[in-house]
Formats: sequence, structure tokens, C-alpha cells
Amino acid sequence: MKRLETFSYLPPFSEEETAAQVRHIVERGLVVAIEHTEAPDPRSPYWTLWKLPLFDVRDSELVLADLDACRQEHPESYVKVVGYDAGRQGQVISFVAHRPREDGV
Amino acid sequence: MFEAGVRAYREVYWEPGYEPAPTDVLAAFRVTPQPDVSAEEAAAAVAAESSTGTWTSVWTDHLTSLDRYKAKVYDLEPVPGRDDQHIAFIAYPLDLFEEGSVVSMMASIAGNVFGFKAIRALRLEDLRIPVAYLKTFPGPPNGIQVERDRLGKYGRPLLGATLKPKLGLSAKNYGRACLEVLRGGADFTKDDENITSQPFMRWRDRFLFVMEAVRKAEDETGERKGHYLNVTAPGCEEMLERAELAKELGSPIIMHDFLVGGLAAHTTLSRWCRRNGMLLHVHRALHAVLDRQKDHGIHYRVLAKWLRMAGGDHLHSGTVVGKLEGDRESTLGAVDLMREDVVRATRSRGLFFDQEWASLPGMFPAASGGIHVWHIPALVELFGDDSVLQFGGGTAGHPQGSRAGAHANRVALEACVQARNKGGSLAAEGGEILRRAALTSPELAAALDTWRDVRFDFPTVDTLDPALA
Repeated sequence: MKRLETFSYLPPFSEEETAAQVRHIVERGLVVAIEHTEAPDPRSPYWTLWKLPLFDVRDSELVLADLDACRQEHPESYVKVVGYDAGRQGQVISFVAHRPREDGV
Repeated sequence: MFEAGVRAYREVYWEPGYEPAPTDVLAAFRVTPQPDVSAEEAAAAVAAESSTGTWTSVWTDHLTSLDRYKAKVYDLEPVPGRDDQHIAFIAYPLDLFEEGSVVSMMASIAGNVFGFKAIRALRLEDLRIPVAYLKTFPGPPNGIQVERDRLGKYGRPLLGATLKPKLGLSAKNYGRACLEVLRGGADFTKDDENITSQPFMRWRDRFLFVMEAVRKAEDETGERKGHYLNVTAPGCEEMLERAELAKELGSPIIMHDFLVGGLAAHTTLSRWCRRNGMLLHVHRALHAVLDRQKDHGIHYRVLAKWLRMAGGDHLHSGTVVGKLEGDRESTLGAVDLMREDVVRATRSRGLFFDQEWASLPGMFPAASGGIHVWHIPALVELFGDDSVLQFGGGTAGHPQGSRAGAHANRVALEACVQARNKGGSLAAEGGEILRRAALTSPELAAALDTWRDVRFDFPTVDTLDPALA
């Protein structure tokens, strides 16, 4: 069975559970970004960016609204939320927040 | 004018109030002199014998500037509760050490002086490595961030498992053991340190079967996987030959045992890893021989600093909660030294000096040795995301086998990270978090049942000084 890294061994998140993880990223002061792809491949690090990373967004509701918009536009894609730590110059968080309905993953 | 004869060490090497230069290497030694030797004389003897001095005056002293090259005891601090013991602070001029050579440092600072008759016991507690010297070392071949980016694993500790039994499996069965763990949810499997190339399993056979298992597990799970292929070998030629085959087979990571292999061999391998984009997991067999006794030897925080200079991407750190010795605060101090860029002197963690790492990459501390699923909340809290948690018996000892064991650990790990991110307290709610996660994971439920109440509660041998703390 295909997995998608962090949190993929837990049951799918409810809306509230997703919101809690997004809040955590925002409250840590990380730069949030949303990425999507139709074909996740563990050897390909780049998914498609949904807009630019949400610099300076300190309200997790805005992130969740963008996450929703991305899901609406790409219902048959995988959508992940990532957090960048600019001080460390790297990505530190990533989890898949949406999967296609007929996933099989 | 040359005066032959023996002078007290303290006349030359005891300089209370000396202001250390920013380029000096600083050392804190726990010194226990013989009963009729003063603290000043013992400390000065340590400075002398680990730098320019010998037991008698020699005419050739006058052909050099002793002031430029000698080490100096600049402070002496009594150890509370031990009237026979002091902490001696010694400053070494940078020119005493070869650039980029941990071996050179060890030969001076951890050399003859530990066998000196006038000193009953001697322990190197900490070192301050100046930035000027650090910049002559490449350090970890890749570092935490590069490893995460390469493997696409973020926001959680990595999960590993040492394959058991540690000796005696054939290569094909060993590969099977590896496959079951990786497809169950572990990121890495590991050769035990005693596995090199024995009659029952030669290294080449092991590498081929294991990499077959790694590839299959990656195809099945869609996640990146790796096995720490131990390349520790009788000589450097064989070590590099094994590393080359690991690379050829597409392994992302290899393993070396830095103390038994030796720091020169290790440095060669670490540079090879930097050149070849290979991750390097570092084991520490022999360390407890050197670091466990409080009065004599070298504290692990010093060995860990030397290893970060020589280079490694993962380094064993102890677990605090598992089967192997490791005081909590002392372990956390060493963990900071492995992965932070600036570490402040913190006596309650046994850290005597500020240490700036000057952008040498950080290493993942690897917690390994007698840990199981009930320990996961405490491990996540102690070590945070940038760590590798390794369960050997705690994977293969699962009643349904390694695959279920790895699955249980992965579920428990992710449940703890999820709860922590939500603001939960792993210390207070750990058990409840695991029990709740087990409602949807029969593998976790069985693991919790198997290892309920298995603890390793023994008094620590190498304690910190409470009053110094």
C-alpha cells in the first residue's frame, strides 16, 4: 500500500485535525505553502506550487481557505501543506491534506 | 642560560588569571591527584604533558619560545563534595594542532597524560573548539537538512530498526528481515555493529540482498528507504571497496563505527561520503569503555564533538529511557552539541564552555538500545523531530513479526507528533495518546500489550556533580 510520509500511517484527518496542524505551522512562525500533484513520486521532490508561498500569513484561516481553493480546483490531485523555516533555510514540515476520492493509496 | 634539573610544573604551566585567546582550544579536566600532590601541581602537570613539557628541563627548550606553545592552567575549581578533586581549565594555543586533524588533537589532549603517575585519575569533561580551528574541518558530509530534502521526510523523527538476531543470519534471510521492517513503516534498517563480513554472511552477499529489499520496500510503500550498510572493515582499502559497492547499488546511506575503526579511517570515509553524496550513519562501539567512569576517561560530549568535526550524519546518542546508560541532562547536552549551531555553557547539562559550530552541518542523534513503543512519547519529547529512533527488539519482538512491529512504531510515532503539534503534553498524556491510536491499529494494540511495564530503572554510574549543576 502506497504511503505519503508524515501522518500517512494515521486514519485520514478530519477538518478539525487538519486545521490543528495548519495552526501549528503558522504559530511556529514558518512560511506556509500549498503544493499539489496528480502523481506523487518519492524520487521527485517538486510538486506544483499553488500560488507563491503564503509569506507573512499569521492567520491559519487564510491558509485553510487557500487549501480549500486548491482542493476545489484539483479534486483528483494530492495536496500537501508544507512549512519552511527561513532561518534554517529549509523545509521542516510536510503533510498530505487531501487525496483523490478514488485513491487506492 | 640552561639549568639542568627538575622544576615544578606549576612554575611554568600554572597561570591563574590568564585570559584565554579566542583562538585557544580550551579544556576542562577533572583532576584527582595522588594524595601528596597539590591541585595546582597536578593541573600544571596535565597542561605540561599534554603540550610542550616533559619531566625535566631540556636544553632544547631554549631554541623555542615556550610562551608561544605551552598550554596554561588558567583556573582551578574545587569539585563540591570531593576534597581530592578539581576541575582544571587549560588553554592550548592553536598552533599545537594540525589543521583538520582530530587525530592530532587526541594524541595531545588524550595522550600520555592519562597515564601520568602523579595523577590518580583524570577525565576530560569538555573542550571548546575555536571557530578558527573548526573552519579547517569539513564536518558532517551532508547534515540534517540535506538528508531531509534528499529523502523527502519532514516534521517527525525518523524511524529505524536494527536487524536481529545481530549475528548468524544468512544474507538472504537477513534481506528478508530488512524487507519486513521497511515495508512495515520504518525509514531505515541497520546493521548491528558486530556485523562486518563473517563466514555466515559475507559483506557482498549482504549488500546485494539488502538492497534488493530496500528497492522492493520503496516500490511497495512509495516512500524512500535505506539500510545502514556497515562498511567498518579490517583496513581502509576494504572499507572504501565496501562503500563503493554500496554506492553502485544505489544505497543512500552507509555506516561506520568511528572509535573501533579509528578516527583516521573515519575521516577518510567521511570525506568520501561528502564527495559521493552518501549519508553516513555513525556507530560508537567502545565509547562506554572510554566515557562511562566519572573520574577517569573522556566524557561522551567530547567524543561527540570530535565526531562532528571528523564528520557523520547520524550519531548514536543514548536514549535516556532504554537499556543503556545515559543520564538525561548529560545526554541532552551532547545532543545539543550534535545538532545546534551555537551551544551555550550550561553546567546543569555538563557543558563547561560556549561552543559555536560556525555552520558545520548538524547531525541526527540516533536513540537506540532497548527502546520500545511505550517509550515513544518520552523519546519524541526528549529528542524532538531531528532525531532517529531505532527499535531493534522493539520491532522484531512484536508478536506478529517485524512488519507489524515497524507499523506499530510508525503509528505511535505519528500519533505522538500529531498530538504534540496540537499542543498536547506527551509527558502527561503519552499513555492515553498511544491507547487512542491503538483503537484503529491492531498492530499498535498488540505491541502495547507485549511491552507493558518493561522498564530499565537502574542508577546512573556517570552522574553530573549536583553542586556544579
